[in-house]
Amino acid sequence: MLQWSSFVQKAQSFIDPANFNLPTLNSTDRNPSKSSLFRQQFRLPDSQNPLQEITAELILPVPHTSSAAASSSSSATQGAERQPGNSYTGRLHLSERFLCFSTQPTSFLPSASLSASTSWTGQTHGTGPSGNGFTLPLCCIRRVERLNSLNHIFSLALTTWNGSLSKQQEPGFVPQRFTVQLVGSRQACERFCDGLKRGLRDCMREIENLRAIVSDCYSEYLLSGAKAAKAQQDADSGEVRQPPDAGLGMIFRYPGDARKLRDRSKMRLWGEYFRENGRNATLIRQPTFHKLIRVGLPNRLRGEIWELSSGSLYLRIRSPKLYDETLSKFSGRESLAIDEIEKDLNRSLPEYPGFQSEEGIGRLRRVLTAYSWINTEVGYCQAMNIVVAALLIYMSEAQAFFLLSVLCDRLLPGYYSTTMYGTLLDQKVFESLVEKTMPVLWEHLAKSDVQLSVVSLPWFLSLYINSMPLIFAFRVLDVFFLEGPKVLFQVGLAILRINGEELLDVQDDGSFISVLKSYFARLDESAHPRSENPKLRAITRFQELMVVAFKEFSGITHSTITEQREKHKDAVLESIESFAKRTSIRNLGPDSKRLSVDDLGIIYDRFYEVLYDYQQRQKLLDEEKKRQERKKIERISVLGPPADREVGRVGLGPSPTHMDYNAFREFLAGTAKWAITDSPGPSRKQSSSDQHGNGGGSVRSLNKNSSLLSGRPEPTDHEFMQRLYRKWATDPVEGLSLQNVVNGLARLKGTRDIMNNINYFFDLYDDDGNGQVDREGILRMSEALLFLSRRGFEGMVTASASLDENRNAHEPAEADTLNTDEKFLGSVSAFIRRCFEYADPSQTSPSRETPTDGPDEAAKKLDAFAIGDDDDDDDDDEDLIEMDDSKPTEPGEPAASAEPTSSKPSPDSKRTSQSANPALDPNNPLHITLPTFRMVILADELLEQFFESFFPHSFHLSDTPIPASLAASTSLSSNLTTFSHLGTPHKPGTGPGFNSASVAGASGGIVPPTRGLRGVLDNIVSDGIRMAAEVKKKMDEAQRELERNALGREEEDDDDEDDDDQQHHHHHHHHHTNRGGSKSAPLMVGGISSWGAGAYSADPERRSVRERDRDLLEGAEAEEIGRGELEQQPPPLPPSAEYHSGGGGTEVSKVEFEL
Amino acid sequence: MSDSANASKPSSSVKLVLLGEAAVGKSSLVLRFVNNDFQENKEPTIGAAFLTQKCSLPTRTIKFEIWDTAGQERFASLAPMYYRNAQAALVVYDITKPSSLTKAKHWVAELQRQASPGIVIALVGNKSDLASDNGNGNESNSSGGSGGNPGEPGPDAETTGDAISAGQDGEGNNDAIEGSGENAEEESDEAAARDARKVSTREARTYAEEESLLFFETSAKTGTNVTEVFTAIANAIPESSLKGGRGAGAGTGQTGLGGRAAEDSRVNLGDRATATAKEGCAC
Repeated sequence: MLQWSSFVQKAQSFIDPANFNLPTLNSTDRNPSKSSLFRQQFRLPDSQNPLQEITAELILPVPHTSSAAASSSSSATQGAERQPGNSYTGRLHLSERFLCFSTQPTSFLPSASLSASTSWTGQTHGTGPSGNGFTLPLCCIRRVERLNSLNHIFSLALTTWNGSLSKQQEPGFVPQRFTVQLVGSRQACERFCDGLKRGLRDCMREIENLRAIVSDCYSEYLLSGAKAAKAQQDADSGEVRQPPDAGLGMIFRYPGDARKLRDRSKMRLWGEYFRENGRNATLIRQPTFHKLIRVGLPNRLRGEIWELSSGSLYLRIRSPKLYDETLSKFSGRESLAIDEIEKDLNRSLPEYPGFQSEEGIGRLRRVLTAYSWINTEVGYCQAMNIVVAALLIYMSEAQAFFLLSVLCDRLLPGYYSTTMYGTLLDQKVFESLVEKTMPVLWEHLAKSDVQLSVVSLPWFLSLYINSMPLIFAFRVLDVFFLEGPKVLFQVGLAILRINGEELLDVQDDGSFISVLKSYFARLDESAHPRSENPKLRAITRFQELMVVAFKEFSGITHSTITEQREKHKDAVLESIESFAKRTSIRNLGPDSKRLSVDDLGIIYDRFYEVLYDYQQRQKLLDEEKKRQERKKIERISVLGPPADREVGRVGLGPSPTHMDYNAFREFLAGTAKWAITDSPGPSRKQSSSDQHGNGGGSVRSLNKNSSLLSGRPEPTDHEFMQRLYRKWATDPVEGLSLQNVVNGLARLKGTRDIMNNINYFFDLYDDDGNGQVDREGILRMSEALLFLSRRGFEGMVTASASLDENRNAHEPAEADTLNTDEKFLGSVSAFIRRCFEYADPSQTSPSRETPTDGPDEAAKKLDAFAIGDDDDDDDDDEDLIEMDDSKPTEPGEPAASAEPTSSKPSPDSKRTSQSANPALDPNNPLHITLPTFRMVILADELLEQFFESFFPHSFHLSDTPIPASLAASTSLSSNLTTFSHLGTPHKPGTGPGFNSASVAGASGGIVPPTRGLRGVLDNIVSDGIRMAAEVKKKMDEAQRELERNALGREEEDDDDEDDDDQQHHHHHHHHHTNRGGSKSAPLMVGGISSWGAGAYSADPERRSVRERDRDLLEGAEAEEIGRGELEQQPPPLPPSAEYHSGGGGTEVSKVEFEL
Repeated sequence: MSDSANASKPSSSVKLVLLGEAAVGKSSLVLRFVNNDFQENKEPTIGAAFLTQKCSLPTRTIKFEIWDTAGQERFASLAPMYYRNAQAALVVYDITKPSSLTKAKHWVAELQRQASPGIVIALVGNKSDLASDNGNGNESNSSGGSGGNPGEPGPDAETTGDAISAGQDGEGNNDAIEGSGENAEEESDEAAARDARKVSTREARTYAEEESLLFFETSAKTGTNVTEVFTAIANAIPESSLKGGRGAGAGTGQTGLGGRAAEDSRVNLGDRATATAKEGCAC
């Protein structure tokens, strides 16, 4: 059904010529979502989604020339001979909390608009409450009656709370009641009604909010005012109702001469309009509404109409107490924004008397402060003070607060953000519009090197309030709030058009500015002072401006602006970002000078890329979570940033400045290949739980998949990286700033000094900063050395055969079969041995050896590496070869093959080494110092090379771009390839060949990530008894006197070590890389595709909509309309399509050009 | 300027941009220079304010086209729009606020790298009236010499300048407003307590010399050294980068000047800064 009706819609849209010139909005990929367009059109809060829509006819009742209207209205023209009410054809939309109707075809769906019954088409072209119709909060609907369902006409009569929420009933009050005829299949109508029913029921509780807000509206006061005065005469007991707060103007007078502005006439016209069409939340828009706004709003209603047409009223109804609560919640707190606000309080419209008083200043302070708390990303931006000051002349604090929020989020997106990208973007848009519409002027300005944006920027940023005399700026605002941002452009273009001739004489910025300045100063003068025609003479320059803006530039629509913004957005963001990059790189401080500018640029890019990507993913996660929860809980904060917003991009405003450990891992993975994970599967032992412990399994896989999608290598996790993180961070909780990362890298890469690198490495493990690294630290160091080297040395470390005399002199031939990686393994174990050999016993801090961690870990590790020592041992080499050879026999399950071999000999090896190795005894704490460490490093050729070149060079910046084979995407895909090799059963031959060949260093020392050095290590370990014995011998000699203690603890440790050994060496590597990996690969692929659809190609909003729709369908059993009864009534009289505006209409046309 | 119509003295216009942290007194400096006025409550600068003022030197007249930029951090990305083609820049900091000097250094670096080559940059420590001494280094703040002459604007001062953003025109409710509240832009009350100086003259001067900047300490409130800054700048603009007066003189000449004409040199102003003092601007 759903599909059928949408098909029909589509078909209709093809037929309807009105849709041929649809805005291009719908065609591009970067479209705002349907939901956001829907919200824009009706100015709804972000929580609203277009749930249902249907073609409908709105039939308004005959304007009731009731006694109430007659008695209060001074207009004598109102007679009994009123025409029947109007009817409009349009679309009826239902969202969670609103029922909207508009004759204006929506911009978001090529929906069929049967030719409108009136010629009025509205001014907003897809933004703002355009056309004729209404935007009714569902809680305003008091009663819905089904009139008849005969003849396929599905009529609903809606009765609203209009005017009946206040306690006192206005005499002669007639409830607002109108009819909506749904046009569509019976089922479609029923479905719509069901949705409406649900909505009505859900929104019932909001009526109290509505009552509170509405009773504060000036319109209510206005309509009850006449009556109140009368009541006072009748009985003096009647309370005198205080007028609601309509801004500072009530105290300090409104700007301008009320008489000249014809404020009273306007007020009367509005009063009449309210009586006939409803007021505030229940107002119905008819052509007069738009006209009344164009001629300028009366002072006391200005705030209310702004609030209504901008939609901020709906936010206020939703959370009426938010403003006060925010103020009290943050009372007494300080912030940068508040400091900035304080500086400007005395400089905001200082010429208006209200802002020379504590009262006005106080209001301004509170509104700006409250908003800075509710939207910390924007905080406070100069110009907001001027705008808010202007608002406060006409509205209460709470009204201004919500209107400011609508301004920042929707009407002026990005204007006041920390990068002001919205402002800059709209300058570009404006310039391009000038170029298009006034090419001659544009060329002249370009030739004269006059920068237009220098002039126009303040116009947009402060909504002309600072440029034009206040009374005129407010007239612009009147239209702006109704019709949206395009008004600013139309007015700007009109200003240039009107002054075009003079501007063509201008040669520089200065005279350009002064031409416009004097123009603004004379806006109240006649536009045609020398005209014979008195009517023409009476037209002011401002009126001329309005006419030019809205007639001559009527082609500038919201979609024009949207289109242009899209076009220029990237360039603007890029220029902001390059400015930001330039600036922050320059300001990184002295340490950064050790790196080249290119390096810094690379670090900067990578840093923010990771953060940006990370935040995008975080956002998706949040949305996913919200989506799951949304069924019950709606958005908590009504004033959050727009839902469909990009986050994290530097140019768009406050981006995160610090990376946490997980983001840092990603950064490292983009920088050093050792930081790329071996198995993009579940091996993220810590990260997965830390990072998204709250998210559950599905969320985790989302995270992984989206990171894969972004083409970034997935980082591994290692203790060394944590140490690096802690070392670099000034505040590990806050995270790493760019400065931290740069300083960290500068220390590593900034010098070519091997000593520096050795010291640095030592420092990383000197936990206490006392210049000592203990047993545990030594083992961790050695593990880190292996970790760092496990993906090869990129040719930085090469073993020269001659130096190996120590071990290989006897068997040079076999030594050659060892590649550098394997030799390095030997170096590391020699490193451990030597460290223990030259370590000093430490008595000072025995307590540091924690019993839980110390012995087991230490023993395990020492064991692991010590066995790797191939000192003077021929058999070792043979074993190695043997291991490699034995591999192919079990290609299917390499992990399994390794396990038995290792688990069997392990206990033996442990026992021997343990019994003989006092270094393992935690009761004998020992440590090495930096000089010892240096000596040990320099004693080994490979380690020396490691620190001299590999270690610093393994961080790839601009100087040594990460080798192609290791570059992000490639390395990732090679991982996957490896998996496919291992996991594919029909390719049994590849496994072994792959292993032996590439481990042997076929690709220039690059070890395939799956097996890696650690794989080799495992093999050695599993058969390392003899080597252990060698180690034992050495150790014995060095620390014989400690032996007894070690023996005492031998048995305890034994059991644990068994497990540890397995776990450590096999669980992590074999299981994960091979078994887990091969299993996880297909899972992942599935994940990608599903998320590709959900998170990237499709709008998440849309998904949620569909789900809701489904809910609605499920719940669409025959339920009676909750609050209204269904009644069968005779159909109303067919209304006439003619609209006669009566006295109001004619008077309006007079007012239009009067001022 | 070669074919300037002005027979007596060649006149040329110079585009000058003010940069610096918020509330260091940029606008006040300009207001003092242009109107010899000090206003407690100025409307904050939205984007940038544009003002002009003439400065008469013995050999020529300089018409400053002053772009007074907004100081709030987020307006920084708009700055390139304003310093584009500028021949001179005033980078202002507040001597009572060390962070403002850091920010000033950033601006200097930005200008040196991004602005027209040959741009004359003056580093100005404002609010010297808040210091009890004249700089820690026992040196008077005399880079500009005649310190005690709170500039009379002089006969040449043509106070055409005004903020872009015109105020209200007379729509009834606006009498001239005398500042009644806190003095936000210039100094704060607690700073009035004796010596609020936090940035020593020596430190700033050393930096200025390293970077070949003109250096002054000023007080927009008292007028100390304000005209001297502008005079020094006027003197420091290399002849080669001067163009015929854009608005004033006959010169409708090339406007995109600053950039190309001045590429010859970044003038070393280190010593000029002190030298210019005696030359003294007539204004």
